[in-house]
Amino acid sequence: MPGLFDTLSMATRAMQAQQIGVTITGQNLANVNNPAYARQRVNFQTSDPVPMAGGMQGTGVQVTGIQQIRDNLLDGQITDESSVGGYWTAAQTGLENTQTQLGQFLNGTSATDGTANSTGAQGLSTQLDNLFSAFQAVATDPTSLSQRQVLVSKAQSLASSFNQISSRLAGVNKDLNTSISNGVDSANQLLSDIAGLNADIAKTESATGSTANDLRDLRQQKLESLSQFTNFQTSTAANGSLTISIGGVDMVSGSKVAETLQAYDPGSGQLQIRAATAGTSLTLTGGSIAGALDTRDGALANLRTGLDSLASQVIGKVNSVYSAGYDLNGNTGANFFTGTNAATIGVNSNLSTDPSQVQAAGVAGSTGDNTVALSLAQLAQQNNAALGNQTFDGAYGKTVADLGNGLANANDQVANHASVSTMLAQQRDSVSGVSMEEELTNLMTFQKAYQASAQIISTVNLMLQTVVNMKTT
Amino acid sequence: MRIAGTSYTDSMINRLNNLTSQQYLLQSQISTGQRIQKPEDDPAGMARALSLQADTSAQTQYAQNISTLQTGANTAYNAMQQIKTISDRAGEIATLADGTKTPTELQAYATEVNQLIQQAVQLANTKNGDSYVFSGTKSNTPPFTTTTDANGNVTAVSYQGNTNVTQTEIAQGTTLSVGTPGENTAGAGPRGLLADSRYGADFFNHLISLQKDLASGNTSNIAKVDQPALLKDEDNLIYQIGNNGVVQSRLDSAATNASNLQSSLQQSFTKVVGVDMTKAITDLSQAQSTYQAALSSSSVLLKLQQSVMTYL
Repeated sequence: MPGLFDTLSMATRAMQAQQIGVTITGQNLANVNNPAYARQRVNFQTSDPVPMAGGMQGTGVQVTGIQQIRDNLLDGQITDESSVGGYWTAAQTGLENTQTQLGQFLNGTSATDGTANSTGAQGLSTQLDNLFSAFQAVATDPTSLSQRQVLVSKAQSLASSFNQISSRLAGVNKDLNTSISNGVDSANQLLSDIAGLNADIAKTESATGSTANDLRDLRQQKLESLSQFTNFQTSTAANGSLTISIGGVDMVSGSKVAETLQAYDPGSGQLQIRAATAGTSLTLTGGSIAGALDTRDGALANLRTGLDSLASQVIGKVNSVYSAGYDLNGNTGANFFTGTNAATIGVNSNLSTDPSQVQAAGVAGSTGDNTVALSLAQLAQQNNAALGNQTFDGAYGKTVADLGNGLANANDQVANHASVSTMLAQQRDSVSGVSMEEELTNLMTFQKAYQASAQIISTVNLMLQTVVNMKTT
Repeated sequence: MRIAGTSYTDSMINRLNNLTSQQYLLQSQISTGQRIQKPEDDPAGMARALSLQADTSAQTQYAQNISTLQTGANTAYNAMQQIKTISDRAGEIATLADGTKTPTELQAYATEVNQLIQQAVQLANTKNGDSYVFSGTKSNTPPFTTTTDANGNVTAVSYQGNTNVTQTEIAQGTTLSVGTPGENTAGAGPRGLLADSRYGADFFNHLISLQKDLASGNTSNIAKVDQPALLKDEDNLIYQIGNNGVVQSRLDSAATNASNLQSSLQQSFTKVVGVDMTKAITDLSQAQSTYQAALSSSSVLLKLQQSVMTYL
């Protein structure tokens, strides 16, 4: 039959249990602002009872575990959503950069009545319009050297705009390649971190027999970081370690890194992704690496192709009409534009030194003849089969609109992702987040329980004194 | 729903971010008057705006073309008017030089006609800027050159230009020519200003013939040949002046059209690109009050949270 000493030790155990409660509350409060942290709860259980004549008598309380409050389903959803967010944020950044480097804005100055003014135009479209207006001006006044000079300078600005935009877009392409290769490096680092954590978790849990809460928090955080870069599949082994596979290839298996990602150049200068050891090429569908890849090969590549074919059509059409014309000195056969695409387009260098060499006339010796200049001016209104049966302006407008659509879509997707991930985070916080009110109330409860157990000890103490004093009296 | 400690701050930051970017967007729309500034703002609208801009730029160029042509037409008109005065005077001399005039008087007329020829050549060689107005498309060549004899009398005037004229676009797909070749003896093409075989006009040769007849006192030839011939030249000149008037009025109406089109393009542009000011300003002030409300409610909540500890 348990005696007073047993009651004393029961109260001691109870105080220890409440103390653990206070410690865990402290741990929770300490991590109130740590987004990766899942709140912990002390599981109390009655300790084994002792059979008594009158029935089973309780022996107090014991702590059976410190449990992490997590919802694995929500964690999985957040990880998945994070790869969606990584993808679209990378796409948005890439496209915004592209849009900026293209430099096609409507920069109107607001008139006093608050209406937009169409004169504040910028970008390639204006340069293109200017070129054909200059052809018109030469057609109207074919003998004027100053109009020819204006034409040559407008053509030069168009050509250098094409060159600049082309090289800036090549810069965007390079930036995207860099961000792909940086993304791969970060993802590999995270894979190796996760493998390390797998080992730690397995070791800790098999040694102590309890869940390694804080290591699991850290691993979940690494998983969410990894999914920013790429999407992946996971499966959990019995010992708690995670297997991570990307595109069907196991990257992390238990405590070892089975494969790493590699950004390699297949020869085109455009980085692709493969498994480093096996050499299997991987198609990523989520995360910032895929976002950058798809932007580079999608919207950016389309824009660059669009500009190149526009430049090559302008060069081809203008030259084919122009070369048949005659200049003020009766010479013919020269080309107006040089080069073949947006990167190489230039203006025949003889023209800037001697604008009289502009071949505006349709016949030799007639300086006032404007037939070639007029045909050149009228090219602006002609549809080009190679540009989808559109005029130069129309084709350019479509190219710009395509880029705009891509970016507008990315903006929408990023906004969607933001609201989905905010909601998921709130849901997770409502399960796993630390609530100060709750913790402070718990703190009070543990404190009171501790005090109560202490009261038991002092009561038992008094009782024991009574017992001891019985002998002396 | 259970609310965690970070939920307050997270959602507050999100709300404030959203409201700030909303205010930023509205503010930039209001300050520029534009709903569309970047392709992403409205891709289809952007393409439409670019195409409207191209049209506006083309219209501006057409308006400039028209004004250049108007200058050319005016220069031609002034020259034609003065040549007409010469033609009038020559006709008058042909009428005055009948049998009643003494040889001295006839000789004086002959001298005057010679001067008239030289004046007319000078006028026919009028330049607009660097280019000769009446030499067809051989604009750098003076259209008429004269041959004179030892006495300084003009014996021949020859045409150096061609019979082509420059067509210029004054509206999309509409071309117009203000050019008039000095001479057209080809029997086809634009009507020559001073000589055209189809209408019997040959001003300089007729004047030279009148001058010779006056010098030789052949008054009957003057009455029978020179006078009717000069009348045909007069008719031709009147046609040319009338035609110039028609061209000028076409140019005027084309200029009006171009300016109307420009302003309607401007309106369309504003419609596509412009922002609805009333709505934008209302939205902005609404966003601002929401922002302030969010700020003050957040600060109340944060204070409340802190005070939980004081209650305990």
